[in-house]
Order: sequence, then C-alpha cells, then structure tokens
Amino acid sequence: MVICMRNLRKRDRYGALFCLPFIITFMVFNIYPVFRTLQMSLMNYKGFGKETFVGLANYARAFKDVLFWDAFVNTLKMWGVNIVLQLGLALLLTIIFNDMKYRMKGLGIFRALFYLPNLIACTSVAFLFKTLLDWKYGSINQILMKAGIINSQINWLTGEGLTAQMVVGVVGAWMWFGNSFIMLMAGVQGIDRTYFEAATIDGAGRWQIFGKITMPLLRPIMLYVAVTSLIGGLQLFDLPYLISGTEGKPGRSLYTAVFYLYTTAFKNNQMGYAAALAFVLFLIIAVFCGLAFKLMNKKEEN
Amino acid sequence: MKKWISVLLSMIMVLSLAACGNSGDSSADSSAESGSNAESGSGESTGDGEKIVVWTLANDLKQFAERYTEETGREVEVVVFDSADYSTKIMQTLGTKSTDVDIFVGEPQMLPNFFEAGFCADLSELEEEVSTQLVDYTYEAGKDEDGVLRAVSYQATPGSVIYRCDLAEEVFGTDDPEEIGKKFSSFDTIVETAAELHDKGYTIFGDTGALRWFSNSTSPWVKDGEIIVDQDRLDYFDAAVELYQKEYVAFAPEWSAAWYASMAGPLPMNAGWDALEDVDASNPETQVFSYVMPSWGALIVRDNAADNKGKFGVCSGVCSFFGGGTFLTVSEYSEHRDAAVDFIRYCTLNDDTAQWWLEASDGDVVSSKAVLESNKDYQNPSFNNQHTYEFYAAELEKVDYSLITGYDDTCKEAFGAAIVSVQEGKQSKEDALKEFYTVVTTQYPELSIPDDAPVK
Repeated sequence: MVICMRNLRKRDRYGALFCLPFIITFMVFNIYPVFRTLQMSLMNYKGFGKETFVGLANYARAFKDVLFWDAFVNTLKMWGVNIVLQLGLALLLTIIFNDMKYRMKGLGIFRALFYLPNLIACTSVAFLFKTLLDWKYGSINQILMKAGIINSQINWLTGEGLTAQMVVGVVGAWMWFGNSFIMLMAGVQGIDRTYFEAATIDGAGRWQIFGKITMPLLRPIMLYVAVTSLIGGLQLFDLPYLISGTEGKPGRSLYTAVFYLYTTAFKNNQMGYAAALAFVLFLIIAVFCGLAFKLMNKKEEN
Repeated sequence: MKKWISVLLSMIMVLSLAACGNSGDSSADSSAESGSNAESGSGESTGDGEKIVVWTLANDLKQFAERYTEETGREVEVVVFDSADYSTKIMQTLGTKSTDVDIFVGEPQMLPNFFEAGFCADLSELEEEVSTQLVDYTYEAGKDEDGVLRAVSYQATPGSVIYRCDLAEEVFGTDDPEEIGKKFSSFDTIVETAAELHDKGYTIFGDTGALRWFSNSTSPWVKDGEIIVDQDRLDYFDAAVELYQKEYVAFAPEWSAAWYASMAGPLPMNAGWDALEDVDASNPETQVFSYVMPSWGALIVRDNAADNKGKFGVCSGVCSFFGGGTFLTVSEYSEHRDAAVDFIRYCTLNDDTAQWWLEASDGDVVSSKAVLESNKDYQNPSFNNQHTYEFYAAELEKVDYSLITGYDDTCKEAFGAAIVSVQEGKQSKEDALKEFYTVVTTQYPELSIPDDAPVK
C-alpha cells in the first residue's frame, strides 16, 4: 500500500513535469502580456523611452475619445450586417441539409465548399473584393449594369462610408458562414433522430419540427456560435485595414476599434493609451458575452 | 493500426529532430565562416580590425562603403531594409540593446523617436564641423531636444517646382525660372496660373496633393500647444478645392502609373490609380505642367521623362521646404564607436566624398555647402541647362527648420482628409475644419484649439 502511494506520488511529479512546457509557454505568451498590458495602460509610455505613472488618466481619456467610440460604432455596424447574414445563411443551409423529405446528397462536398472562403488568407480576400468591387472596372458593377439592374456604377468602397461598411460586413459573412454552418450541422446531427421520427409520425409539419424541436435543442450551439462571432467581430481589424488601403477610408468609416488601437499604438506611439483601449475593449466584450449568456439561459428557463 | 500510427509519429519526431540538428550545424558553420572572414579581413586592413555594420533604407550607402573600403581598407557591411518595416525593426533590435548594429539611418521624421528612445550616440565631437560645413537645416534636424548632435546627413533635400519649359514658353511666353517662380509664389497665383494653363488644355498638377508640400509656409502646425490654421493654410485649403472642382488638375495622383506617364507626354484626364490602358479613351487628353517635389523628386521626373528629358526646369514655389533625406547615426550600443564615427565623418564631412557622390548619383543634392558652392556654375543638361545646384543652394538657405514639429504628419493627414471631403462635396468647409480639429485633438489631447481659430 505504502509502495503504491509512493509510486503514485512519483507519477504525480512526472505529470507536473510533463505539464511544465505548456505552463511555461502559457505564462510567457498569455499571462505575462495581459499583466504587462494592464501595467502599461496605467502609464504614459511611447513604446520606448521612459514610462511615467498616470493612474487612470488613459481610461478617462478612452471614455471621452470620440474617435474611438465612432470606430466602435463602425465595428458594431459591420458586425451587425455580418452576424445577421452569416447566421441566417448558416441556419438556412442547416435546415435544407437536415430536411427529412429532401434528403440532400453530397453533404461532405458542400460542407467543404462552404468552408473554402475561410481558408483563403484575408489579404487575398481583401484584394479579391477590392478588384471585384472597383467602381469603374469591377466585375460586379459591370454585371449589374449589363443585367440592367443599375444605371450607373455604384461606388462600393470609395464612395459613401455606409456602403463600404456594408460591403465589409457582407464579405465577412461570406468568409465565415461556412464555419457557422459546420457548427450548426454538428449541433443538429447531435440531436437524437428519434425525436424527428416521432414528430413526423405524429404528423408535425416541417416548420413545426424546426420551431419546436430543432431550434430549442440547437440553442447551446447557437450561443457558442454567437459568442465566438461576437468576440471575433468586435476585434475586427484585418479586412477593413486591407480593404481601405490601411487608411480607414472613405472618411473614417472603415476604422474599427482595433484599427484605431493599432494606429494609436504604432503610428502615434501612444502605447500606454493603446493598452488602456485594449482593456476597455476587453471589458465591453466581457459585458456583451455576459449579456448573451444571460439572454440565452433565460429563454431556456422559460 | 495503433502500431503504424506510433511508427509514423516516431518517424515525424526523428525527422523534426534531424532537421533541428541540421540547422544547428549549419548555423554553427556559417557563424564560424563569417568569423574567419572578419579575421582575414582585419589581417589585411590597417590592423584595428573593426568591421562596422550599417543598417539603411536605400542602396546609396553601399556605394559609399565600397569607396571607403577601397580607400581605407576598413570593412563596412551595409544591410538595406524595406522602408515599410524599418522603424519597427530598429525599435525591436535596439530595444534589446543589440550590439549588432554600429550605424543606422533615419529620415527626419523618424529621428525624434530614435533620439528619445536613447538609441543614438552623442556625436558632439563632430558638432563644430557639421555646424560650419553643412547646410543649416540638416544640422538642426540632427540635434535632439536638448540640442545634442546625434545624426548627420550627406544629403540635403530642398523642395522645388519642376515644370515643363516647352509648355511654359507656349503658354506664358517665357521659361525663365524667375518668371515661372512668380506664377507659383502664392496659392492665389497658383489658381490663376492653373486657369491660364486650363485654357490651353493643360493641367497644372497631377492632382491637388502637390500643394501639401507648401502647407508649412508661414507657421508651424503646432505652436505653444495650439493647433495653428492661419490664413495661409486656409488659402491652401481653398486653392486645393478650387483646382479640384474646376478640374484644373489631371486627377493622376502622385505615384500612380498615370502620374509617372505624365512626365513623358500627354495622358487622358481622370486616370486615377488605374493602369493607363484601362483609362476610358474618350476622356480628353491633357499634359501635366508641373510637379512639386524635393530634389530627389526632380530626379524621378528626369528619369521618367523619356523624350521630354531636358525640357524640365526647376523654380521655387509658395515657400521653401525640404522632404526626406538620409541621416546617419551611431548606435548607442555599438562596440566600434570610433570606427563608426570615422565612417560617418567620411560620408558627410569629406568634400571629396561629397563631390564624388554628386557625380556618382548624377544629381543628388549634397549637404556640403562648399561643394554646392563649387558646383553652382554647372549647367545641368537634364534641366534645360539650368544652374540647378545654384538654385537648390539658394532654396536651402531659406528652409526654416523651426517650423517642423512632431505633430506634422498627423496634422497634414487630417487636413488633407478635410480637403478631400470638401472637394468631393461631402462636407462644408466649416464642418470639415471642425472635424480636422477633433481628429487632431482627440489623438493628441495635450493640444488645444486657439481662440482665434477659423471655426469653433
């Protein structure tokens, strides 16, 4: 018995040893940066030279910073378009592929195809859409003109700010709907088939099944998809940065919160303030996530 | 099955370990190699055996280094970086107090950050020579906040209006730089000149961005913590809007394909950033009359002029300015300080070198006052046989470095954006100016809007 215990303890120690590489890496690359950022956010620091302690001044400035909040609203607009389209499309496809009557074939192929946009590097996507949406020679305008849907070219990316924001939202949805689709499919396939069969035998229609069985049982996955997309969406940076040619044009409409943070840190050399912005953004995302959880759980209780 | 997987995994492990082993070996080899090189190099040289490493943005310094090695036998390794990530590279490398770099370069707008970060060694020993031999503004730009000299340049980059003499002769009856200079002497005269050119089917600039070089004409962007928008800046604003709305410019932005092409001959209006073959052929054709650029820009115009080469002249504009330029500085952490200072002295304070570079670069303006003076009678065949060095030396005298502040880039960018939104009719001038103030003061809360600002 004693020998056994000793062996176990020895094995424990080995376990800890094997965990060590991960723990060290995690500390160095995850934990330390978070605390360093927190420390920096209380400093007046350019990213070089001296750091001086300024207390919460950076946070006070962040709450009054019109450009930051404008950028945040821009982010919300782009994310709003993105999430509605992305989830809507993914849900529609999920319904189609799970329909008992249609019995769609080739799910594997479609799943791969839908997921493809997500595999293209964001730089390429930005370049592709910039070319497609060029107001003079872009294919999309030309097709719309030839088809007689529009009379004059639409200035997608360099005209009105709102149009450009919508474009970014739609492109984002195009990139990510495959991902959401895979998650939702996995969720639906996790639902016991017997429920559907029983419902069909009882004479429930397509919409009844969807509304009363699929949707409620899909809620945990929906929550997961919504929350991850929210986190990703509020951190939106690469697509607007690249599509606007790194300047956030037209006007400042393609400036997102993280884009603004990036400019503050690396163009204006206000590293301390940028760190504070990062924490403000972190808090906002945390609040949003909390809200999302609460909303979803509340429905479940009901 | 399990067996196969474990065999596969162990093979992958072996492979990756082998790869590590290999790379380890090779790196050891290569470092040994470069070490022996340095040794043999030092054996041949004067005996002090210090190879210095220079980090730079352009190939210029490679030629300087070759000549230096030929003359002194001392080795210099020049590493050229892409300008896009150069600043970050310097910040990262010298942030770790690396001793790998002995000399690095900076453009004027990068220098204050480098100084503040403590990367640049004190070069006070060169101060007397720099202050007497070199063009004033380069001396001013090389000093930090406390007035300690930390960077020196072999170049000077005075601004100029580069114009087409043949078109000037046709429209204004003269191509004399003095006379044409008068036509560019204020924003009002620029608009008048543009109208005259427009009547003959020519455009004054590629686009209105050309005017931004004159945005520092009378006052700095920031003075005593206040953002300055004086009458001159408002004139600049109005002129840019008028030139745009009356279509007095060709709408071929600086650095676009159309802009380059305009130096060689006629081009269709409204080319924008498109490749020329894509531009709507039904657009009316125009010729661009002039370009506003620092001296290195004049060389770009010359090199893209094709059949127009020799037809360009240079004259002064609304104000004298400078743009860019390569400054050399010794790294604070260099272990070869003396050798590095010697190389900088050779590149910047040696008139033989300056004369050589002026000829080797085929027209670069050097910072040595004596060399500019001795070349003032040189008639430049690429510029209508004008005395270009005499002209640039005179412009350099007028550059006022006290107008430069660390806020310039942000202010110019925001002011430019305000102009664009009025040009495109998206905002009124008042709203655009208000937004300009908001954008600048939000990014730099320490700045304020003065009481006599044009908008509140």
